[in-house]
Amino acid sequence: MKGPVDSGAVAARGQFVPVAPARSPSRPRRGTGPALAAAALTCLLALGAALAQAVQLDSRVFEIARQLRCPVCTSESVADSSVELAQQMRQIIKQQLEEGRSEQEILAFFQQRYGDWILLDPPKRGLHLLVWVLPVAAGAAGVAALVVLGRRWVERSREPVEVDPEDLARVRAELEGRSE
Amino acid sequence: MKARGVLTTVAIVAALGGLFAYGLLRGEPDRDIPSALIGKPAPAFELPLYEAYRGEFGETLSLDELRGRPLVVNFWASWCAPCYDEAPVLQAYWQEYRDSGVVFVGVQTQDRGKRAEGRAFIDQFGLTFPNVIDDDSSVSVDWGLFGVPETFFVSRDGVVVDKHIGPVTPAVMERQLAALLR
Repeated sequence: MKGPVDSGAVAARGQFVPVAPARSPSRPRRGTGPALAAAALTCLLALGAALAQAVQLDSRVFEIARQLRCPVCTSESVADSSVELAQQMRQIIKQQLEEGRSEQEILAFFQQRYGDWILLDPPKRGLHLLVWVLPVAAGAAGVAALVVLGRRWVERSREPVEVDPEDLARVRAELEGRSE
Repeated sequence: MKARGVLTTVAIVAALGGLFAYGLLRGEPDRDIPSALIGKPAPAFELPLYEAYRGEFGETLSLDELRGRPLVVNFWASWCAPCYDEAPVLQAYWQEYRDSGVVFVGVQTQDRGKRAEGRAFIDQFGLTFPNVIDDDSSVSVDWGLFGVPETFFVSRDGVVVDKHIGPVTPAVMERQLAALLR
């Protein structure tokens, strides 16, 4: 990453711009306008690129820091905590990203020092697997139970209803009486 | 059939309630987590020493130089109140045990730029064991530190055998030193 280098170049160009018209006062004024605009645009683009790079690096640092538990304020992530240790951990993440290490390698670095405890999401192996499997299994069991119950209800509704012939006759008589 | 359903529901609710109560009553679960470092080689470091110790040890103290000797590595900070409680205990045991070959090392950490405060801390308790400065707290990350104070006990062959979280007491020091010097 060459964030700081880029912003240095921007500063140098920024200083150069106001000097240009002073060096050639006899030049027609028509030419300086577009040149100035082009220089300003270049500056802006370079500044934008440098900023984008810095923001991208920072967002990757935070992305990784969000997955780590702060050792001091244990209910916060390293991204959220402002204690010195968390700041240093973010610095280490940034350094390692700049050295080209992958997210997995950086997480493993902290895991070696603090154990699985440091990961806010427990790793998908061993006893930790339960945390990942149980909710899915419970959800699947719920859906299966709903399907079975639903089928049973539907089947039950299809069964012929047995009615006492006497009651049936009474209802018919009532209905006929009403329609008259 | 109905009674069995009620019994099952009661059993499930009781089991969940029991789990909840256990979770509430078991105290600070996070502090029970053992250090990932125990049984592993102590992470090496080379850190600048406070002026008072430079005559005996040089500008910096490297853990490699102390290989072959049992170590008590204590992490502290000038803002940490329990560190003030344990400092006299550490100094007393250092005086008592220094001839047995054990080396105590104090590491000021998570305390960026606080040299004057560090010096005041050392002077207040007249600490004669070497104290080094981990200014950017990187050693504290290497040692998997949770907070201060924390004290690590390292065997002669450089393996971390145990760790104590919070201020050390005479009972802790007696037990750990006996194990280190066995």
